[in-house]
Amino acid sequence: MMTPNPEFLRFTTHKSLTQRLVFSTLTGRPIHVSQIRSSSPTNPGLAPHEISFLRLLDSITNGSSLQISYTGTTFTYVPGLITGSVVNSGDVVKCALPESCRRGVSWFLIPLCMLAPFSKAPLNVRFEGEGVITSATETGDVSVDSVRTAILPLYEQFGIMGAKLELRVLQRSCAGSGGKGGGGVVELRFGSQVRLPKTLHMNRNPGRVRKIRGVAYCTGVSASGNARMIHAARGVLNPLVGDVHVAAQYDQAPLISSGDRNDPGKKKRTGVGFGLALIAESSAEGVIYSADVAAPSSGGVTPEDIGKQCAYQLLENISQGGCVTRVGAGTVLTLMAMGSEDVGRVRLGRDVLGTEDVILLGRDLKKFGASSWGMRDAEDDETGDIIVSVKGIGVGNVGRKVA
Amino acid sequence: MATNLGKRKRPIAEANPQARKLEREESEAPELDAQEIFRRHFEAQFKPLPVVQSTAQQVEDVSEDDSSEESEWEGISEPEEESVEVIEHTDAQSRMAAMSKEELKAFMGSKPPKSSLSIPLIRDKEGALIKDDDASESANLKKDLALQRLLTESHLLESSSNPTLSGKNRHKATDLRLQALGSKTSIFKQEKMPITHRKGIVAKETEREGNRRREARENGIILEKAKMKGKKSSDGKRDRGVGAPAVGKFSGGTLKLSKSDIHDIEGPKRSPSTRGGGRGRGRGKRGK
Repeated sequence: MMTPNPEFLRFTTHKSLTQRLVFSTLTGRPIHVSQIRSSSPTNPGLAPHEISFLRLLDSITNGSSLQISYTGTTFTYVPGLITGSVVNSGDVVKCALPESCRRGVSWFLIPLCMLAPFSKAPLNVRFEGEGVITSATETGDVSVDSVRTAILPLYEQFGIMGAKLELRVLQRSCAGSGGKGGGGVVELRFGSQVRLPKTLHMNRNPGRVRKIRGVAYCTGVSASGNARMIHAARGVLNPLVGDVHVAAQYDQAPLISSGDRNDPGKKKRTGVGFGLALIAESSAEGVIYSADVAAPSSGGVTPEDIGKQCAYQLLENISQGGCVTRVGAGTVLTLMAMGSEDVGRVRLGRDVLGTEDVILLGRDLKKFGASSWGMRDAEDDETGDIIVSVKGIGVGNVGRKVA
Repeated sequence: MATNLGKRKRPIAEANPQARKLEREESEAPELDAQEIFRRHFEAQFKPLPVVQSTAQQVEDVSEDDSSEESEWEGISEPEEESVEVIEHTDAQSRMAAMSKEELKAFMGSKPPKSSLSIPLIRDKEGALIKDDDASESANLKKDLALQRLLTESHLLESSSNPTLSGKNRHKATDLRLQALGSKTSIFKQEKMPITHRKGIVAKETEREGNRRREARENGIILEKAKMKGKKSSDGKRDRGVGAPAVGKFSGGTLKLSKSDIHDIEGPKRSPSTRGGGRGRGRGKRGK
């Protein structure tokens, strides 16, 4: 991979940073990112969670090199081979997130899952430390429940065995005070590696929503909140779908070190809160809509509000249509673009395709050498959905190719 | 007289709305009850209904009625009347709507849930589940059994207090199965109780049966034959202890035979002309 004179792809700002890093690692093109929060007088440069992600990339790849400028506003990344978790003892890579992390752990998990099918060995990563937030966050990340129930099932259609994927939530945590930090422990075990993920043809009608499932979680607050959230959500959803079942999950708040210098053994509880994650499965295979709402760390909302809000969010996502929601679109489009050299088709709602994330993704893909997307209107009904045709690069699994 | 009339009018006018109110309350109460009963019945058979709106409306209705009827009375301050406090009672519905154990396990485990997961509900003896599409003979037998049980025990699920086959209903189902297998008594039959209670129960039972028969007779309905409750001829089948003599009573080192015993041994005295050399002579009726 290490060419003597690498030609860097140049990017600016921290927007869709993980996506660019994933593309870079998969295609083997080195990148140079500049102007990262350079205009911010107080917090210039890379944020703590971004640093954590770079370190994580470093630990699951072999031969990657990373140079960060003094202020952190610029860095270069030369990717290596994705080796997975053979190097460390105990077959699991540990990734400690700092207390100042504001993003949910799904911010790490979703791009990591995109890399994992191309890894040489099974990729097992455990997130721990004082910055792991398993719930949905105010910064827009989904909860781990949504990752497990809405994102991971998408991999099945790319020929990646769902039975070998695991996302263990060993300790739940909501965002701590000020939206910073938690104390959760999450372990991702991605045991299914493929030579080349096959592409996908989801251009049919997305079908009708058949059942709704979900997880209500209360961490460190009264467990009756679960029942209240579920009741409120069912109040909205029951007239529309008969089959609504939501599981309730109550956990104690995680214990973390209190950071008291005089008494280093002292512990405190953090990451108190509650939230609701809902998924709607349609009659068409593999079509899952999801919604995710958690109580803000500042508090002041009732479980009923959260339940109702989450139900409405789910309805909004369903109304956007298409076969993939906004949350899953990045994963699906990336895997299609990186997979076998076929043309795959996926049907997306107009509002899903028109989001900033998806458009940025398309532009980035083009910059990394993927062919452009073809788009046309779905003509079989009046939904106004768009069928996106994506041709794969066929990068495949370099580690597998050698081995 | 006129003043008298005026005075008299007032209490009547005041009494009227009270009476109306009473009437209305009385007429409303059974209606609500009936609705409640229908709702429970429906929920027991199908899915729970969303109740949130109706309760809220009811609360509002009642408060409106109150305010219109008691408009003459100005004791309550304004802001209290304006803000109607709606109280929702969260009930056991969310508990009833929980997932089944298997589904919960599949959904809440660490693996991503399968999108098309149909969980079979019939288990075999080891507790393993039988798939819906399993067409083997044994699986079919088990499905038959499950269907039979469902048919015989489904009436237990109709009770509104406990619409599941757990708790009290589980014991009732066990009792039904035992009786179907030939058990003489119910497991709910209490064996030991004070004799006065037992007597009371028996007396009540006979009285109820007697009443039923009497009413049927008066109405000209023919009932089944009354079961004869006479004493059983128990002395013949009396269980004698081990080592005890088959005939008579052994006490004080002597075998005592009563007259009837001797009569049994000797057999009926018949003249030899009627029956000569018959067998069984000198032997008891019982053939011991």
